[in-house]
Amino acid sequence: MARVKRGNVARKRRNKILRLARGFRGSNGTLFRTANQRVMKALCNAYRDRRRRKRDFRRLWIARVNAAARINGLSYSRLMGGLRKADVRLNRKMLAQLAILHPAAFETVAGAARG
Amino acid sequence: MNRTVVPSIDSLERVWYVVDAENQCLGRLATEVASILRGKTKPSFTPHLDAGDFVIVINAEKVRVSGNKSTEKVYRRHSGRPGGMKTESFQALQARLPERIIEHAIKGMLPHNALGRQLYRKLKVYRGPSHPHAAQQPQVHQLNPSASVR
Repeated sequence: MARVKRGNVARKRRNKILRLARGFRGSNGTLFRTANQRVMKALCNAYRDRRRRKRDFRRLWIARVNAAARINGLSYSRLMGGLRKADVRLNRKMLAQLAILHPAAFETVAGAARG
Repeated sequence: MNRTVVPSIDSLERVWYVVDAENQCLGRLATEVASILRGKTKPSFTPHLDAGDFVIVINAEKVRVSGNKSTEKVYRRHSGRPGGMKTESFQALQARLPERIIEHAIKGMLPHNALGRQLYRKLKVYRGPSHPHAAQQPQVHQLNPSASVR
């Protein structure tokens, strides 16, 4: 079996971490020890926030739909309840997009919710 | 995929509103003003942008609080030295600096960060019925009727 010296492996491992830490602040992007810690934490945050992103966007759509609903004289919950009764199956993202880009279309939707 | 719209900061239009604080309930007035400043009344609301409108509050000295709060609600400040806390009742502060009561209430309802401080700068509070912002052509904003003190 071929001989493997330690230095190569160690350098590869460290460079891999430092590449991930590129652009980090101060020693967090240059020194292996601190960079290693920051990378571990950053990857954890990224994992968590990929899941959180779905909730964050839903919250944003709800806030926008609520604002648009109130302009049309409805509260968010009345609008959503009315839409369910009217069997309108637009989701919150579509509603938020309508509210911002096509206020007139949103008005029709709100009319449908009013029944 | 249709991506969620993030409006560019230049595309946001900001209007000016005048709110009359006469006989209004302090907290109920403040929540409404805070949500206007934050932009939550507009469908283009974006949490990380200053999307809100400007608000001018007039008749600041005529805002009311319910119950015994005018004598019992206390505004505290501290000089930083030992024993340096000063307290002032709602009544006393309203007589001295009526603007501060409203500013303090609204500021506490905005995000406590740099964006919140930027939003706060769009709030203008004046005692008396006049304000110097005629050039901005402010519209009168009618508060929710539940905000007035019976």
